[in-house]
Amino acid sequence: MSIQTKLDAAGQPTADNSARFGRPSLLITLSVWRALFLREALARLFSGRATWFWLVAEPVFSVAIMLFIFTVIRVRTVGGIDTMLWLMVGMLGFFMFRRTGTQAQNAISANRTLFTYRQVLPVDTALVRAALEALLMVAVAGVLLAGAALLGHSVVPANPLAVLEAFLGLWLAGLGFGLVTSVVIELVPELGKVLKLVMAPLMIVSGVMIPISAVPQPYQGWLMLNPVAHGLEAARLGFAPYYHAVPELSVAYLYAFALVCIFFGLALYRRFATKLVTQ
Amino acid sequence: MIIVKDVHKRYQTDHGPGKWVLQGVSFTIPQKLSVGIVGANGVGKSTLLRIVGGVDQPNKGQVERHCRVSWPMGFGGGLQGSLTGRQNAKFVCRVHGPEQDIPDRLAFIQDFAEIGDAFDEPVKTYSSGMKSRLQFGLSLAFDFDVYISDEVTSAGDASFRAKAAAAFKKLADHAGLIMVSHSDGTLKQFCQAGIWIQNGQAHWFDQIDDALKAYKDSIKK
Repeated sequence: MSIQTKLDAAGQPTADNSARFGRPSLLITLSVWRALFLREALARLFSGRATWFWLVAEPVFSVAIMLFIFTVIRVRTVGGIDTMLWLMVGMLGFFMFRRTGTQAQNAISANRTLFTYRQVLPVDTALVRAALEALLMVAVAGVLLAGAALLGHSVVPANPLAVLEAFLGLWLAGLGFGLVTSVVIELVPELGKVLKLVMAPLMIVSGVMIPISAVPQPYQGWLMLNPVAHGLEAARLGFAPYYHAVPELSVAYLYAFALVCIFFGLALYRRFATKLVTQ
Repeated sequence: MIIVKDVHKRYQTDHGPGKWVLQGVSFTIPQKLSVGIVGANGVGKSTLLRIVGGVDQPNKGQVERHCRVSWPMGFGGGLQGSLTGRQNAKFVCRVHGPEQDIPDRLAFIQDFAEIGDAFDEPVKTYSSGMKSRLQFGLSLAFDFDVYISDEVTSAGDASFRAKAAAAFKKLADHAGLIMVSHSDGTLKQFCQAGIWIQNGQAHWFDQIDDALKAYKDSIKK
């Protein structure tokens, strides 16, 4: 007498037959995450010649070039803090958002072949990529801050928890953004091009290179509609409490944006679960 | 047992929904029965395999799988070019089973694929024959009730074909097989029943010879 087994849409055993298959759904998901994470990490760090070097070098060069420009126009401090720190924290925070966002955004198309294994769901690839990016950004931030410390800048945050809070918010916002856009691009590929155009000026309007506090009203209010700008200002304020941040600064706004995006993104994955693996 | 009920499938093209590939396909595959699928190029043999394997979803109808079905063997699927054969194999093992089984499974895959030192080279340096050796070994490393094979041996050399044939034979007493092949010999060797696909319909034959005959007769006209 064979036991009747039911499979869910993804072909995974549902809870009532886990005994037959030996693995409950949660365990399957965890092992898929682990497998995907190791695979992504290997591919991301060692896919080419010294790929790992460029992961760190790219943001270092970005900061160095901006720092050079600021030095030429003799800006020693921005908003009361060291230009180098101001730039570096802004860029790190921005990359935390953008890299996480783009990695998650491209997760489905990059891992499409893996859906041959029914255990791997599209949402797994996006979540794992975002987690890996967070880890990489922590490493990048460590290298950058250590480098700045060696050059004699004071890089120890006055309020480490506030810095963590800001960076976590930026990461969550990137994750939410990536989750939503990955599904949207999959459903309407043309929107990918539009999105690229919209994202292009994001670095400027987020206040990475231009202090938003120096922008006059009402434009400042408009710029502060962008949640990323809140995250960057909060991170700088966490490093130096005497920093003249934008008065409207609200970490809660950043988190609200992030959580709404994540919820919406996960809902999209749920709603289009079949469509995303169908060709 | 696999029950396919009234499956309809069409692919989405740039100009809206395409033509129906499968239109109302229904059949039941009993346990441990090996089935060969025959039909001309482009009639939907691989599409049907993918739907039965759960990799793709039908537009209408449903597939009930009352057993563990393998992923379609021989799909390029899932081999990451920049990773080595061993790393790719580890990935599949991690997805499919408990951590403690991995060394045994890896040893099996390495032994079966017989690609020597290339097992630790990136997959992008492999020839198509080496890739199919690795893919075939990968699917055999796991216990399924039904294995799905899509022309898996076609790229291999003589020794690999012999090895694959022996493996299929060994599978036959504890598992079923659903295979697509254009070689009559292969189908007759491994399959008992046959499915002939034509014009979006599937015709079931209890004997693979009858299925091949029906297919051959349809070409002559």
